[in-house]
Amino acid sequence: MSDLVDLQSPHEIGHEMRDEIRRISDHLRRRRQVRSTIMVALCGVALAVTAVPLLLLLFELFHRGLPVVLHTGFYTQLPQTPSLVAPNVTGGVSNAIIGSIVLSAYAAVMAIPVGVLAGVYLAESDSKLATMLRIIAQTMAGAPSILMGLFAFSFVVRALHIGFSAIAGSFALAVLMLPVIVISSEIAVRGVPNTLREAGLALGAKPHKVSMRIVLPAAVTGIVTGIILAVSRAIGETAPVLLVIGGGYINSWKPLNPVSALPLSIYENAKSQWPSLRTQVWGIALVLVVFVFILSLSARIWASRKQRAR
Amino acid sequence: MDQEFMAKVKMEVVDKSTAPARSVIAMQLKDVAVSFHGRTAVRDCTFDIAKNRVTSLIGPSGSGKTTLLRALNRLHDLTPGAKVAGQILLDGVDIYRGDLTVTELRTRVGMVFQRPNPFPTMSIYDNAISGLRFNGVKKKSILDEAAESSLRSAALWDSVESRLKVAASNLSGGEQQRLCIARALAMDPEVILMDEPTSALDPIATLRIEELMTSLKQRVTVVIVTHNMQQAARISDDCAFLLMGEDRAGELIEFDTTEKIFNNPIDPRTLDYTLGRFG
Ligand SMILES: Nc1ncnc2c1ncn2[C@@H]1O[C@H](COP(=O)(O)OP(=O)(O)OP(=O)(O)O)[C@@H](O)[C@H]1O
Ligand SMILES: [Mg+2]
Repeated sequence: MSDLVDLQSPHEIGHEMRDEIRRISDHLRRRRQVRSTIMVALCGVALAVTAVPLLLLLFELFHRGLPVVLHTGFYTQLPQTPSLVAPNVTGGVSNAIIGSIVLSAYAAVMAIPVGVLAGVYLAESDSKLATMLRIIAQTMAGAPSILMGLFAFSFVVRALHIGFSAIAGSFALAVLMLPVIVISSEIAVRGVPNTLREAGLALGAKPHKVSMRIVLPAAVTGIVTGIILAVSRAIGETAPVLLVIGGGYINSWKPLNPVSALPLSIYENAKSQWPSLRTQVWGIALVLVVFVFILSLSARIWASRKQRAR
Repeated sequence: MDQEFMAKVKMEVVDKSTAPARSVIAMQLKDVAVSFHGRTAVRDCTFDIAKNRVTSLIGPSGSGKTTLLRALNRLHDLTPGAKVAGQILLDGVDIYRGDLTVTELRTRVGMVFQRPNPFPTMSIYDNAISGLRFNGVKKKSILDEAAESSLRSAALWDSVESRLKVAASNLSGGEQQRLCIARALAMDPEVILMDEPTSALDPIATLRIEELMTSLKQRVTVVIVTHNMQQAARISDDCAFLLMGEDRAGELIEFDTTEKIFNNPIDPRTLDYTLGRFG
């Protein structure tokens, strides 16, 4: 106790004591500087380890992909199988581009309303049912995506007799997207300050009106970000659609037709015996990456605009 | 008693002779107690809130002022473990057991919170009439009129008339709080509850809100929680003093006209508190 009092009143400390304190603090400062230099160096190494493979990957992607995607035929033509007389004929991937758009659009239409409402429910309720739903969503989020494919296969393709179709694929993708949307919506809704809910209630608004008219709009940035994340993930998935979409070689927007998808064409072209088809793989991958990039970029821009409008 | 100090405090209580007499009662509290998970937060509250007067709730931190205020428009309903005992009457009807729905109660008893909390995604206009919209009013002419009159009553109209469609979050803190008052006024409530409505504001914004409350007395009954003794003395006509008992639960020590509470209280603890001797 008396030590503390001494330290708190410096004018009572003798010269010797003060010099000693200064010496120790110099020593400590030097040690701190050394430690901080080491930490900065380590961070630099970690950054390099992360960035280098990514940059190499991007370089490879553009280096090999650009020559493929610079032909309009790549986007407008259907795939063609090369033959011994014309080994370099490949056609385009219009069916896969349309298929991917169709699949993710239908999947989004199915998953967004259900996922957002479930997320709101989880955030606003603490019932047993909510706890159960939350556990299910978290488990589903970690489940291997091929499982969704199997589920869609046995349920939509077989049990419902719908057959290989866009709708079966988007069903699988919707199931894949659902937990992501549910969890991110719940987090966004929980982030809305309680004072806003109370303000609504105090004005005589019924609880469901408070949820829909006050909480949901206030959480919309987080919710949309979650949706985009889910769509970006779904659009690049091969496994869930592999078993159920039938790999259609036509351009079709219809839900009951078989369709193709960008990741599926990568998969199929990559195992082809024709070098010309294998070369095309990088172009398809580039298109896919650009798709996802545009999605997440527009989400960011939209979110920051929204934030600034507040 | 130091006479000088007493004299000073006496001067602070503004002349309230213009306030209507305590003849008509807006809300009645009978032995009200609120507990959370079986632990009593506030109890023994029995007093009448007189119509068209300002009633202040004062007392140290934790004495249950907010808790009591929130019981008056049933904001504890959704708090797990919260229980309100005793009787609270609005116009003679028990608000917890009578045939008055929560929704109706809350349209008749409005609330303004400590921190300004306009709806961030709505414009100034939409905020002002949000309560009407929540309760199903759709007609544009009615909404327009309500927006203008409530913003005028909250002394905000002149500064926002030209930017009604702008997001409410662009307003200053004081303006936001006045918007929240306008939002409550648009419902044309009989009673407005205010929980330290000026504690987040600067002295000038505070003064404007105080003026506002005094002028609002014509149409509504105001109940206000405040930590500011001068504020309680300046604007309230009646005053309830709460204090923690031995078991840390708040209880009503004294209720009377503000003048009596500040100048001539019955309980010595009331005097100690209003003189700033503790709490
Ligand atoms: N939701 C709640 N759950 C549990 N206890 C609560 C809750 N709300 C308030 N309390 C308790 O009730 C007591 C009174 O709190 P209250 O907020 O009403 O005090 P106050 O007089 O408004 O204080 P202050 O002046 O600091 O605002 C406190 O002990 C608090 O811990
Ligand atoms: Mg309080």
